Amino acid sequence: MIVRRIVALAYKEWREILRDRLFFTLAFVVPAALMLVFGYGLTLDVERIPFAVVDQDKSAMSRDYLHRYIDSRYFDYKGDVASEREIEPLLADSRIRLAIVIPPRFQESLMSGRAVAVQTLIDGTFPFRTASSKGYVVAINAAFNSELLGSYISRRLGVSEETAQAMAQPVGVQLRYLYNQEVKSVWSIAAVLMMFVLMITPPFLTALGVVREKENGSIYNIYASTVTRGEFLIGKLTPYAAISVINFLVLWLMATQLFGAPFKGDPLFFFLASVIYVTCTTGIGLLVSLFVRTQVAAMMLTVIVTIVPSVLYSGLLVPIASMAPGAKFEAHLFPAMYYTDIVLGSFLKGVGLEQLWGKVLALLIYAVVLWTASFLMFHKRPKS
Amino acid sequence: MNGGPAENRVRLYLWWSRLAAMTAKELIQFGRDTLLLIAIAYLFVFDTYMAGNVGMQLNHAVVVVHDADHSAASRELVYRFRPPYFKLGGEVLDNRAGQRLLDSGQALVALDIPPHFERDILQGKPTDVQVQVDASNTVLGFLASSYAAQIIGQYGFDQTLARLGVTERSMQNVPMIRDEHRVWYNPNQNDAWFMPIAELLTVITIMAIMLPAAAAVREKERGTIEQLLVSPLTPIQILLPKVIAMTLVILLGTAVSLFFVLHGMFDVPMKGSLVLFFAVTALYTFTTAGLGLYIATIARNLAQAAMLAILVLMPMIFLSGAWTPPEAMPAGMREAMVLSPLYHFIEMGYGILLKGAGLDVLWDSLLGLALLGMVIFGFGVWRFKRQFG
Amino acid sequence: MGQAALVDNDAPVVRVQALVKRYRKQMAVDGASFSIGRGEIYGLIGPDGAGKSSLMKAIAGVLSFEGGMLHVLGEKIDSEAAAERVKGRLGFMPQGLGLNLYPELSVEENVDFFAQLRDVPPEELARRKHKLLAMTRLGNFRDRPMKHLSGGMKQKLGLVCTLIHEPELIILDEPTTGVDPVSRRDFWMILTQLLRERDVTALVSTAYMDEAARFHRLSLMFDGRVLIEGEPDVILREVPGTLVELVAESQVEALLRLETRFPQAEAVGPKLRVFVPGAVPQVARAQVEAQLEGLMVNEMQAVAPELEDAFIALLQRRQPAGQDDAQKSRLWLDGDPPKGDGDAIAARELSRDFDHFRAVDRVSFEVRQGEIFGLLGANGAGKTTAIKMLTGILPPTGGAGTVAGADMRHASQAIKERIGYVSQAFSLYQDMTVTENLRLFARIYGVPNSRLAERIGRVVALAGLSGVTTQLVSKLPMGIRQRLALAGALVHGPRVLFLDEPTSGVDPIGRRRFWEILVHLARVEQVAILITTHYMNEAEHCDHLALMHAGRVIADDTPAALKAALQQEAGQVLDIAAEPVLPALEALEQAGFADAAMFGKRIHLLARDITAAEARIRTLFAERGIQLLDIALRTPTLEDVFVYRILQQEQQEASA
Repeated sequence: MIVRRIVALAYKEWREILRDRLFFTLAFVVPAALMLVFGYGLTLDVERIPFAVVDQDKSAMSRDYLHRYIDSRYFDYKGDVASEREIEPLLADSRIRLAIVIPPRFQESLMSGRAVAVQTLIDGTFPFRTASSKGYVVAINAAFNSELLGSYISRRLGVSEETAQAMAQPVGVQLRYLYNQEVKSVWSIAAVLMMFVLMITPPFLTALGVVREKENGSIYNIYASTVTRGEFLIGKLTPYAAISVINFLVLWLMATQLFGAPFKGDPLFFFLASVIYVTCTTGIGLLVSLFVRTQVAAMMLTVIVTIVPSVLYSGLLVPIASMAPGAKFEAHLFPAMYYTDIVLGSFLKGVGLEQLWGKVLALLIYAVVLWTASFLMFHKRPKS
Repeated sequence: MNGGPAENRVRLYLWWSRLAAMTAKELIQFGRDTLLLIAIAYLFVFDTYMAGNVGMQLNHAVVVVHDADHSAASRELVYRFRPPYFKLGGEVLDNRAGQRLLDSGQALVALDIPPHFERDILQGKPTDVQVQVDASNTVLGFLASSYAAQIIGQYGFDQTLARLGVTERSMQNVPMIRDEHRVWYNPNQNDAWFMPIAELLTVITIMAIMLPAAAAVREKERGTIEQLLVSPLTPIQILLPKVIAMTLVILLGTAVSLFFVLHGMFDVPMKGSLVLFFAVTALYTFTTAGLGLYIATIARNLAQAAMLAILVLMPMIFLSGAWTPPEAMPAGMREAMVLSPLYHFIEMGYGILLKGAGLDVLWDSLLGLALLGMVIFGFGVWRFKRQFG
Repeated sequence: MGQAALVDNDAPVVRVQALVKRYRKQMAVDGASFSIGRGEIYGLIGPDGAGKSSLMKAIAGVLSFEGGMLHVLGEKIDSEAAAERVKGRLGFMPQGLGLNLYPELSVEENVDFFAQLRDVPPEELARRKHKLLAMTRLGNFRDRPMKHLSGGMKQKLGLVCTLIHEPELIILDEPTTGVDPVSRRDFWMILTQLLRERDVTALVSTAYMDEAARFHRLSLMFDGRVLIEGEPDVILREVPGTLVELVAESQVEALLRLETRFPQAEAVGPKLRVFVPGAVPQVARAQVEAQLEGLMVNEMQAVAPELEDAFIALLQRRQPAGQDDAQKSRLWLDGDPPKGDGDAIAARELSRDFDHFRAVDRVSFEVRQGEIFGLLGANGAGKTTAIKMLTGILPPTGGAGTVAGADMRHASQAIKERIGYVSQAFSLYQDMTVTENLRLFARIYGVPNSRLAERIGRVVALAGLSGVTTQLVSKLPMGIRQRLALAGALVHGPRVLFLDEPTSGVDPIGRRRFWEILVHLARVEQVAILITTHYMNEAEHCDHLALMHAGRVIADDTPAALKAALQQEAGQVLDIAAEPVLPALEALEQAGFADAAMFGKRIHLLARDITAAEARIRTLFAERGIQLLDIALRTPTLEDVFVYRILQQEQQEASA
């Protein structure tokens, strides 16, 4: 291993990247732009669900009940329709996601001490939105019911309204959201996006960089010289890894400064773990580049091995914990999942090596395996 | 030029003949690229299949309990945290231990039942159960807290009703609202009906942008574009066949994915008109390809094209409602979504497949898509013409 | 280190024994054997796909092989580790103009990078860099990005980069392909001088047969095997025979008759060239005369054959060429559009500016139907730009022109429909078969479906492609690919053909086949052909030549007139053989023979007064102890013309 040769290789690569202005710009713009768009655009806080109402009672009580929806920030009132039949086209056209049908004699029944069924029709196309909508409906109903029950108890047992309310709701819930008190999805998403962006850009940069050298023939300079395989791989990839580390720092700043995500962990630990992760993803690109001959093929293969798993199996959108065993197993095969835990742990939980050593170890093993495989697969005297 | 009708007919025939020849060429080249074929087959078949195996639902989330009461009442409450949403992860001796399990991610929810829980309920004294939720993953945090609150609320309600001596049968005589929600289109909220469709439409988008961009950049890199430029082909006749060929390939992939994976393996319903679905897919692919062509005019090599494609693709997908519902978008973004062609496509895709909607309902989305498509495609062609015309 | 001492100095630097290299099922090298001694310039020649590149890569240690033995610099190369041990002592330049260099980096950065890869110490690097850049005249372009260099400069830079660590063995794969004659001469001068100075061994492959004369020894490869090995003269003796040159009326008829008896007959411009194997001059003349009985024959001359003739004869023994030659096809049937006459191409004061740089500067010329027009010039002289304007790809900044009867400013679409074009780089689709490519272009050019099969059949026969119609283009050798490109350009029956370096990198046999077709097209079918080339012996085929330099046409005439003008202006060409040749050249230059230059192993110079010049040379050589082997008068070749004119221009620019 001669450091001077590695430096020469890295320096040459760096200047080549630098002179391809568009590529160089994109290498920095793409991650930042992704962060910006997703940071603002990708939230999971379902709000303003458009809904319509069929109020067949039109009483004071039905309006009181409906106003709990209309006044909620979770719902967006789109108007009244006359009959149930008019709901279907609205749902089909996605103009509304939810419809509430209040039966005739709603007020009368409740006043006379009878239960009333209120129907809600929910658009089920997006299960997560459906679950959220259902949750909101249940919560509003529960609140309304406990008031009804309170006055019922007060009337039936002759206790004061206050006591009755307390009796209607004997068990309160003290909810504490740990790590992300306001359940701001932008916090966790900004953090997780770092995982995403660092999963996608380094392999692309690396795979295309190496394959380009193979495709245009300058790789023969390396084959024909005394540069060792290790020197070449390290020298060639250092600039790409460096770009990714710079990107990582920019993203870190964006997450904390722009999106206000709290960083509670140990910066040094986080930085080092991230460097290992970048080494990992750079290694993925390297391995891809050794399998293919053309840049088109490199591009397609990189899409397959990075974008898809990093969306589906990283915990970005779909929580690992809620996966079926098969999918969970696959998630464990990709490094993204481990880094997601490290990011969330460092940002929101403020835990460090003590709790996360297992994940760091997994990444480390991953990196070692990738680089060793690449090292063994790269030959300076290939078969063709 | 004096254009008699006969001459015009010849000219028109020539135009189509050239287009057909170029389209055949694109398809032949496509068929020879084994690796690309494998990649496309993977994305259309395996990838959509994988997407059917994941979902955004609370599934056996681990709940640890610190039960300071150890009474029948507390046990009954704890017992209600059960599959499919929750799974009991055992009891801890103090809150600290619970906190540690949350920190290390081994548990999602920590339930803390206070002492004298049963006594307080029996005496009608309000008591609080503390629920700590790991909200670092917002989806899980939100769902877990929502379900936990529902369970505990229902538990309290049941306790009250029991104390009042209300039985199952006499429930009708308590003034309360019975929640009768009905979920349409996907009554079981089966994620396998949602995710694969979203993934399929995403894959279509990736293909529609990347394939024409790669094909066009490859001609530029290999110099074959020169031979076409000295021929009587117009820029449109060079570009259009690429888009037509890719559209055909994508339609084929979509059909395979839809019939064998979505319908075959996950029983995704196909309620609406399949003709309409494929027509919309064709229109969408065709127009989105304009973006790919635009990229091809900017990029000098494939590395640049790949980066540009990511730069365009990712926001388009994120702003489409494929991964997050539009209702989860912040105010400005929700309006910006109408600019993503994928948004319209997804609305129509779900509309046709799951809701059985027809043109009478979807005409506005179709119009939006067509308008956007015309602008995008026109822009791509204009750039290409300016560069090579 | 001890091992190195054991290696004796006379041991061969490279020893190849029955080497076998296979790509999957395809055999590339099939038992090749030869050895290269220290200080030799060893040549590898042979048709495309003969296995030269594979063999060179194997020797350079960048390609594994399946069978046989290989020793390089005393090391047995049988593993990656063994190859690594000698890589520090060898340099390798792969095929392709500047492809192994880094386009974004400047000249100096490229050199520095190669030096650092090879652990050249900084002081040493500075010294060598200075010397090599001065020698290659790249010193003034240190900061220019490599992508902005001309082809010849790229090649010289490639050489500098390969030599910067002073290797003992250098391996150069077709280093001069696609390079103009002046740069090619520079390249060889530098190489010869450096090898002499440092006692370096070189293994070089080339597609230019005139360069083969510069090799000490060479191997002719065919089908993965070494067909013949030895010194150029020895090989020449291996193929005895006589070359007969003549002018006959009519040429077409004469050629047809000669071809029936002699496999190597070709039309070169107005002349016919026939190789008569195994015959002494008198016998050869008699045989040719007998064959041409009844035709008017003039200027018959019997001369010694050149290496190229010998190689083609050797290769044809192996690969009887031209089953499909017999059925010479025609591009048009009698019912087809009439053959045009008059001007096919006319350029008037054409100019084209790029940013602040004028690529083509008021260029005018005319090409008539049935004429072959050659556009010559160094890389970057503006030939390709001129062609692009005439074919309607690039709008001109100024000037006018008509092509195939259409005005290039207004009717570029009409021009595109009427012309055929073969570009510099092969630009048909490699992942499609021959027929698929031809069908595509036929349909693009509007050949009606009913005539598709007939037209394709016609060009397939014309270009001699009938054996390969269902093959993928990527599997075809270069020579056949170029004929396919020509067939593609002809499939719609154009009256005007533009060919931009169509034969670059094609082997001699392939080039001859190619020209046979071109000559047929021009002479028989009256197609107007505009062609650019770096092979000066190909330029002899042209009826008319224009020589371009820095965007301008500096000479424009028939080949004969150009040669005559050279003799008028600068005198006769003296062809000198001397030993040792490099000091001889140096002596001549110092004595004021400014145009003295190497041609193969010999020196050419121009002199007005032959007797006086010869006397001066004799005394000069006697003074310096140089042995004069031979001195003779020669008719100038087009290469003499080209080199003289370009150097003249460069001198004028330098003094201006």
